[in-house]
Amino acid sequence: MDALVLLGSFILLMLLGMPVAYALGLAALLGALWIDLPLDAVMIQMASGVNKFSLLAIPCFVLAGAIMAEGGMSRRLVAFASVLIGFVRGGLSLVNILASTFFGAISGSSVADTASIGSVLIPEMEKNGYPRPFATAVTVSGSVQAILIPPSHNAVIYSMAAGGTVSVAALFMAGVFPGLLLGLCLAVYCLYVARRENYPKGRVIPLKEALKICVDALWGLATMGIILGGILSGVFTATESASIAVVWAFFVTMFIYRDYKWKDLPKLMHRTVKTVTIVMILIGFAASFGYIMTLMQIPLKITAVFTALSSEPWVILLCVNIMLLALGTLMDMAPLILILTPILLPVMKTIGVDPVHFGMIMMVNLGIGLITPPVGAVLFVGSAVAKLKIEQVVKAMKPFFVILLFVLVLVTYVPQISLWLPRSMGL
Amino acid sequence: MLRFFDRLYLFCIWISGLSILAMSLIIPWGVFARYVLGTGSSWPEPVAVLLMVTFTFMGAAAGYRAGAHIAVGMLVDHLPAGVQKIGAFLVHILMLVIGGFVVVWGSKLVMGTMGQTLAELPWLAVGWTYMPVPLGALLTLVFVLEVLFWGPAHDRAVVVFDHEGPTSAEAI
Repeated sequence: MDALVLLGSFILLMLLGMPVAYALGLAALLGALWIDLPLDAVMIQMASGVNKFSLLAIPCFVLAGAIMAEGGMSRRLVAFASVLIGFVRGGLSLVNILASTFFGAISGSSVADTASIGSVLIPEMEKNGYPRPFATAVTVSGSVQAILIPPSHNAVIYSMAAGGTVSVAALFMAGVFPGLLLGLCLAVYCLYVARRENYPKGRVIPLKEALKICVDALWGLATMGIILGGILSGVFTATESASIAVVWAFFVTMFIYRDYKWKDLPKLMHRTVKTVTIVMILIGFAASFGYIMTLMQIPLKITAVFTALSSEPWVILLCVNIMLLALGTLMDMAPLILILTPILLPVMKTIGVDPVHFGMIMMVNLGIGLITPPVGAVLFVGSAVAKLKIEQVVKAMKPFFVILLFVLVLVTYVPQISLWLPRSMGL
Repeated sequence: MLRFFDRLYLFCIWISGLSILAMSLIIPWGVFARYVLGTGSSWPEPVAVLLMVTFTFMGAAAGYRAGAHIAVGMLVDHLPAGVQKIGAFLVHILMLVIGGFVVVWGSKLVMGTMGQTLAELPWLAVGWTYMPVPLGALLTLVFVLEVLFWGPAHDRAVVVFDHEGPTSAEAI
């Protein structure tokens, strides 16, 4: 009955069209009234939910990524990828994927990835004989790498939702191989399509020009070096690295690249404020929701349901994957991480799945959700950038969905892909 | 009257924007002080957290007016227009409830913690770090009332002024 009041009212409020953050808060309030909890306790959870130093990493990573994405970084990453791989058959589709890999290393946002890489490469690919829906499908599915490859603000949100027991550094490292695996699988498929459809080879870029392009791109890619180097060596924390990344991104964009106008900065700020604060406030309200959920022992009950379902961990993982995929197609990533992590993490611990590994399972699942209809932020942005109907893009994406599901199965059932790197670094 | 709401909206955006700007400068300064100046100063951390709370609650108020919040429109969008109207009205009333709760209980929290001070920063009462919470909620309430009495404002010029540009994505 407790669960019905809390979860039921939340679902009802959400379906009514109430913003998810406030629906969580109101449901928590109703839950607290139901179990006779003093409302002060709910308020403390809401306020202290965002009153944490470690949370600062989220707005800072997003801001750093936004500055880089809008400040001409994506164009340079595309050029850099062309130098490395553009000369093979189907070169531009591989460049697209590799540029997303690099983009993922400076930003954790698939939406920003699709918007900025897509606006450079989709027209370019079409000019070179690739069908536009195919070019869009490559861009959209390649952008899922951004969620996995560090730095990823979603990994920070997961760490937060896991109650701070999972280190951000371990999650960052765990994302490296799943991200690269995804990129590799997509690249292999693109090579195959390029042979079949006889897509053109790109030109080999002369050494002198290539060197200039590399140096240009390295300024931006140094962001990842600063972030990971700082965190792994212990010179600064994840949060500190995020703010340093902002300063570095700003420096590189305004003083090295110098193609972003100072007068556009308020617009950038305006956008960042709107997009990030709604995630931050979600974290606050989700904290109170999670608190009531724990008091009602809902995670415990859900664990019991799952373990009654089967004693085989792989069956439970399969069920969880299906559930995450289904919910991911309907809702955005941040709220799902915040709501589902406290519910599912105890289940995972019971069947012996490492929390870091589960983080990656969740990222891949929800990442696929972002590019799947009916609700997929990245899919929508991709279609908008390409000026195509969503159905046209979805049709072209069918083989890519198969590849993504294949990667999901690998990441789910081969924990070493995620865990080898952080473990061997002692994280 | 709408001009007044526009100003209020810009006020929220600016406070929020300046907060994130300040905090992304303060923390590197803390690192700099620790390694280069060798004076591990303790103020950057609590000040940055205060700025983040300000950023979050002021920005979210503006985000409400801009219609930027994540919501699920799947069911509502398929209902007849009349029912949609009733649903939207209901959502606004519920927003008043949750907003009102945060204003009242948030203020109580602020008052209750005014007596305590932060360990790292003796001159700053804990209450101040919670202050943006009820304040932001109050501004959200104002914007909810605006929608109730004057209609939605997410297409006002000040709200959409950032929409052009290389990436006008509304989600992260």
